[in-house]
Amino acid sequence: MSTATDDRREVTSFDADDHQRPSEPEWGTLRSRWRATLRYMRRNPSLPVGLALLSALILFSVIGGLLVDIGDTRVMSAPHSRAPADNLWFGSDRQGRDLFAVMVHGTWLTVRVGLIAGAVGIVFGASLGFIAGYFGGWIDNIVNWTVDVLLTVPAMLFLVVIATNVSTPTEPLSSTTMAIIIAALAWRRPTRQIRAQVLVMRTAGYVQTARISGASNLEIIFLEMIPNLLPYLVASFVTAVSAAVLASVGLEAMGLGPQNEPTLGQTIYWMIQSSAFMMGLWWWILPPIIALVILFVSLYLINVGIDELSNPRLRRKA
Amino acid sequence: MAGGLVVSDLAVHFPTERGVVRAVDGISFDVERGTRLGFVGESGSGKTTTALAIMRMIKAPGRIVAGSIRLDDADLVQMSDAEVRAIRLRRIAYIPQGAMNSLNPVLPIGRQIADGVIDHLGPQRDADLKALVAESLDRVGLAPTVAAMFPHELSGGMKQRVCIAIGIVLKPDVIVADEPTSALDVITQRRVMDTLGRVQEAIGASLILIGHDMGLMAQFVDELVVMKDGRIVERGAIRGVFQAPEHAYTKMLISSVPDITEGRSFLGTIPTPAEPKPATGAAPSPLVAFRNVSKVYGRDFFGRGGVHALRPLSFELDAGRSAIVSVVGQSGSGKTTLANILLGITRPTTGDVRFEGKSVAGLRGTAALAFRRGVQAIFQDPYGAFNPFYKVDHTLALPLRRFGIATSRRDIYVCMEHACDAVGLDPHLILGRYTHELSGGQRQRLQVARALMLNPKLIVADEPVSMVDASLRATILKSLYDLKARHGISIAYITHDLATAYHVSDYVIVLHHGHVAEAGTPRDVIGNPQHPYTQLLIDSIPWPDPDRHWGSRQSVEDDQRRLEEIAASHQTIVRSRIPGFDLDTAA
Repeated sequence: MSTATDDRREVTSFDADDHQRPSEPEWGTLRSRWRATLRYMRRNPSLPVGLALLSALILFSVIGGLLVDIGDTRVMSAPHSRAPADNLWFGSDRQGRDLFAVMVHGTWLTVRVGLIAGAVGIVFGASLGFIAGYFGGWIDNIVNWTVDVLLTVPAMLFLVVIATNVSTPTEPLSSTTMAIIIAALAWRRPTRQIRAQVLVMRTAGYVQTARISGASNLEIIFLEMIPNLLPYLVASFVTAVSAAVLASVGLEAMGLGPQNEPTLGQTIYWMIQSSAFMMGLWWWILPPIIALVILFVSLYLINVGIDELSNPRLRRKA
Repeated sequence: MAGGLVVSDLAVHFPTERGVVRAVDGISFDVERGTRLGFVGESGSGKTTTALAIMRMIKAPGRIVAGSIRLDDADLVQMSDAEVRAIRLRRIAYIPQGAMNSLNPVLPIGRQIADGVIDHLGPQRDADLKALVAESLDRVGLAPTVAAMFPHELSGGMKQRVCIAIGIVLKPDVIVADEPTSALDVITQRRVMDTLGRVQEAIGASLILIGHDMGLMAQFVDELVVMKDGRIVERGAIRGVFQAPEHAYTKMLISSVPDITEGRSFLGTIPTPAEPKPATGAAPSPLVAFRNVSKVYGRDFFGRGGVHALRPLSFELDAGRSAIVSVVGQSGSGKTTLANILLGITRPTTGDVRFEGKSVAGLRGTAALAFRRGVQAIFQDPYGAFNPFYKVDHTLALPLRRFGIATSRRDIYVCMEHACDAVGLDPHLILGRYTHELSGGQRQRLQVARALMLNPKLIVADEPVSMVDASLRATILKSLYDLKARHGISIAYITHDLATAYHVSDYVIVLHHGHVAEAGTPRDVIGNPQHPYTQLLIDSIPWPDPDRHWGSRQSVEDDQRRLEEIAASHQTIVRSRIPGFDLDTAA
């Protein structure tokens, strides 16, 4: 037995592929771990920059929300069309809304619509994608066919039709309802993307190994497949959130949004309605646009960063 | 020496996080016009990097840090990108490894051949181009009509020959072929290599063949370079290297190629098989029984048409005796389908698979779990078999928990340690690590450990050594053999490699288009084949012996015709039977 073991060891020493594969720096002590993380962040700045921008935006909204009364976002809470001043930081619009209060509450409302619609879309889409891709057969055919058909229809058309039918003059739309309307279509793309990933992963060696290890279908999906899809799911979620924000702003700018809530898109609607451009009320025009730009750019950077983190082929080597 | 290539002190470095990897570390060699030079070495030895360096195709951040590559009087290393572009294809052609992925799926073959011509010689008249393409296709033995076809209409071997046609269309001085046949089976490999050799002689180019197969080298090249860790460890005329290898590494490479000769086993000393366990109880039902099992893919709604992956097959494998049954055949012969049916992953189209007397299709609950535990697998790709998200412990612990072998963390750990020990791995070096931290050989032996831990009755090993280096092949096959000899586990060894099947198996089944061509003991079937298909397979193996001929030109042409005749005949020759395994040919 001992001789057999010895020559095995000797043969193993011929393995040349060990030191060929470049790998991440050693993860030892807490300090070196920190340094490795910092080094990585310097190489891949999109993720930290994107997260910083997004947190800044949300912090502005959350901390501001503690200081500013929601009542100040209502019409006539301030003198109208005033430029920014000491007691009116962002000025006011033509109907006399305090624009600082509007920005504080509107930013969060808009982000919330995106989060709700994105979350519903990704959970529903991922479930359908997994069912279709993993089990296949006629379920797959039905899901695939439905998604294919729905993808050809312009989303805005659907949303406009639904929104106009849901909102009535006596009971205007709330931003939560609007988020759910948007979610009704947000699952299409995740379904298709995740189905494709599952189809590839289903034949992976470790899935087969789990199967012959006696794992059930649910175990294979939740313990073997989902962990490996996690970066992908997060990236899909971020994409879904930005798509949902875009859809909500679109609806609101057309005047189909929540009339009683000061979301960013709704602010843009009022500003168009009241000819803010012609009146030169720049303090009304700029803040919602800047907030939206920061939001979209941060979501984009986060997405690029996650992609780089999870896809070693894109990982730049220092 | 016009058209010769002289490489001196070439060094290629890849900077990584952990420091500089010297992929090629100061090597010198030269190829004279019209000769064939072979490069062998295992993965990571720097042979492919050398080939890419000659083409000036090293990807950043890697770069050529020193040395020269001289073609006539020009130094390729010093050339600008534009100058190198003019040299590529025109004077140095590259034939890539994966012909499957090297051709553009949306362009006809003729266009892809003509592309390079137009790029180098400028716009041509249509008639001239057509003639050039036809000539190039003719040189590789393909009809001119292939020019109008798309890659998906061609077989793997034809695609590889198209890649050769693209490479030689401008009659280069040097052809660099990087493992041109690694994805092909032996019969197709012999055809492609024959074509490549013929073309090279016809246009008088020199040829650099990169590979890991010592047998192929022995049959094909004039001079051999052995590389290890970025350096040349041995170099010489092919006959000399094989007759008197100097470096220990070369000796190891040569001895790791299994030979089909009596007496010398490349597995080294193998333990004598344990006495068959006396059958307990009254007449036990066979461990696994196939009754007219077949598989048809792509049938339409009414059950018509489709491709027969496996023709009706019946056999019985006894529970009392352990045996290694090899299933050999080319790709597409149905051997993997057979493996998946055995594992219960694929459902057969017709027939019934029985495990210990019970039909597998109807198993539920604990009986299904017993089947899962009883029939284990070792997969082809040791890297893919472990979930990259977890440490390897996860893959080992999962079946222990599912089959109720060990429940507490402590018991599970003890089981895992024993399993590692049993296959000669140090548990402290293996457990708690991620797959990418282990070498290919360690991963593959860990797969064996995983299967062994469950104490199965049958292990299905689907090409377990096709993706590991030659030096490891013997070690892993030896651990497989140990499973039978020491632990009394039967093994279905699925492979395309007849030589290894000869050494490890008790019984060999040769599959061809889903049909059993020949079956019997390895000494009969492989040592003295009777069926024309088996004979063809064995003739096509490149022997690691420059004096043993690979077959003549004429025979390669004839073989293709014979292959088609064989496919139509559906003849089965059963040479011999062994106790414990009963192949039923009546059906």
